[in-house]
Amino acid sequence: MMQQQQPYTGQIYQPTQTYTPTTAQSFYGSNFEDEPPLLEELGINFDHIWQKTLTVLHPLKVADGSIMNETDLAGPMVFCLAFGATLLLAGKIQFGYVYGISAIGCLGMFCLLNLMSMTGVSFGCVASVLGYCLLPMILLSSFAVVFSLQGMMGVILTAGIIGWCSFSASKIFISALAMEGQQLLVAYPCALLYGVFALISVF
Amino acid sequence: MSGAVAARGGAAADWGGFEDTMQAGGSSGSAVIDMENMDDTSGSSFEDMGEMHQRMKEEEEEEAEAAGGEEEDGEFLGMKGFRGQLGRQVADQMWQAGKRQASKAFSLYANIDILRPYFDVEPIQVRNRLLESMIPVKMINFPQKIAGELYGPLMLVFTLVAILLHGMKTSDTIIREGTLMGTAIGTCFGYWLGVSSFIYFLAYLCNAQITMVQMLSLLGYGLFGHCVTLFITYNIHFHSLFYVFWLGIGGLSTLRMVAVLVSRTVGHTQRLILCGTLSALHMLFLLYLHFAYHKVVEGILDTLEGPNVPPFQRVARDIPVVSSAVLNTTVKVMALTS
Repeated sequence: MMQQQQPYTGQIYQPTQTYTPTTAQSFYGSNFEDEPPLLEELGINFDHIWQKTLTVLHPLKVADGSIMNETDLAGPMVFCLAFGATLLLAGKIQFGYVYGISAIGCLGMFCLLNLMSMTGVSFGCVASVLGYCLLPMILLSSFAVVFSLQGMMGVILTAGIIGWCSFSASKIFISALAMEGQQLLVAYPCALLYGVFALISVF
Repeated sequence: MSGAVAARGGAAADWGGFEDTMQAGGSSGSAVIDMENMDDTSGSSFEDMGEMHQRMKEEEEEEAEAAGGEEEDGEFLGMKGFRGQLGRQVADQMWQAGKRQASKAFSLYANIDILRPYFDVEPIQVRNRLLESMIPVKMINFPQKIAGELYGPLMLVFTLVAILLHGMKTSDTIIREGTLMGTAIGTCFGYWLGVSSFIYFLAYLCNAQITMVQMLSLLGYGLFGHCVTLFITYNIHFHSLFYVFWLGIGGLSTLRMVAVLVSRTVGHTQRLILCGTLSALHMLFLLYLHFAYHKVVEGILDTLEGPNVPPFQRVARDIPVVSSAVLNTTVKVMALTS
């Protein structure tokens, strides 16, 4: 009559199933062979992380809505840390700002997307997508380590990177939430958010 | 009951917001709405909401206690081993009751779905409204249509925040009591919400036909001129250029807002009060933003450019005063010790 935990059936590997558990129901700690692998237990799926990274890096690649709907915060955490680390290399110790602005920005986008979309969206999904699309900003801040971004070339590069980040983010949101025709409306707030990150990198 | 509420809703359109809240409260499951209390002219039905909530909370607590009590009585005669499990079940039920109550309160007060219709826009509509915000209407004899939309104004306020931040960063402004981001957000949102509320209040006094959402929307779109002006003049620093933009672009957006308000107000004095206040606040805000946030750049430019700047002057240090003070204290200390 003990409170039974939800049996884990390996759903994290949507849509392709590369791991099939040996038994349909597995009790943790009952059998060493029955335990799922550590990464699956932690919810880190390297293949999906790689897919999402590629979707962000290729602006013209079509986003797969089902993959994007997963809440995966491991990738975004790594990217935020990498962003903070590249800022550190440029002499700016601003981890606090990065996390604060990410949190507030995610909250703002979450409210906005919930208001604008037909289906709702979860906070984890928003945080995950915005975190992944921070990747080009890491390129900008690593460029800022070596060259100053305050000239005309810096302005153009910054504008380009902001456009790239917000374009990817809006592309993923549109495909995950089925909001055709509103890509520009979703891209603009993303551009404002990434603009604030760019301000941190540049100045 | 709902028929009576709907009829009253139709009769008093201005009180639409109130009616919605009451209906939402009524339909959320509490059967304890007292219709007689709704005629109370104390001015606020929030007291009734508070009462209703208190009653709901008490009912929930009674239910939970009763359920807990029953369980305990029923199982008390059972084996001792089940006591721990009983405790857990009771705790579980209390948790469920608390959660239900919290989600009811949340869905009642923090329901952002109320704002959903104001965000239902197409990009082309936003673009058209942005362009129209700079074109004053000519026809002021019948009420001009105002789009009751909040996406455009909200994005414009955030854009203004971003432009202010950029201006502050390029001019190395240092804010001592607070952060750059906080100052920028406070200024812009404070202006948008504060001035909208103030003008709405004045409009209420002057009998103008405008709702709060329309006022927010109108003023928000009026910030488009501010954004354009500041974006250009923070990057190209000429005072004369700024004044041209201030009068031209700021003036155009103010004229549009004024024309819309005039079309919705009757009576010369009322029009004058309302439109005078709005134009003064709007134009002065642009002036304030320009001068408060880029002074430092001006200072740097002057020192870099100036044949008019006097050469760096050295001021002699006043050494005798210092040394005499030191001498005096030393003497006193020696006198005390010896």
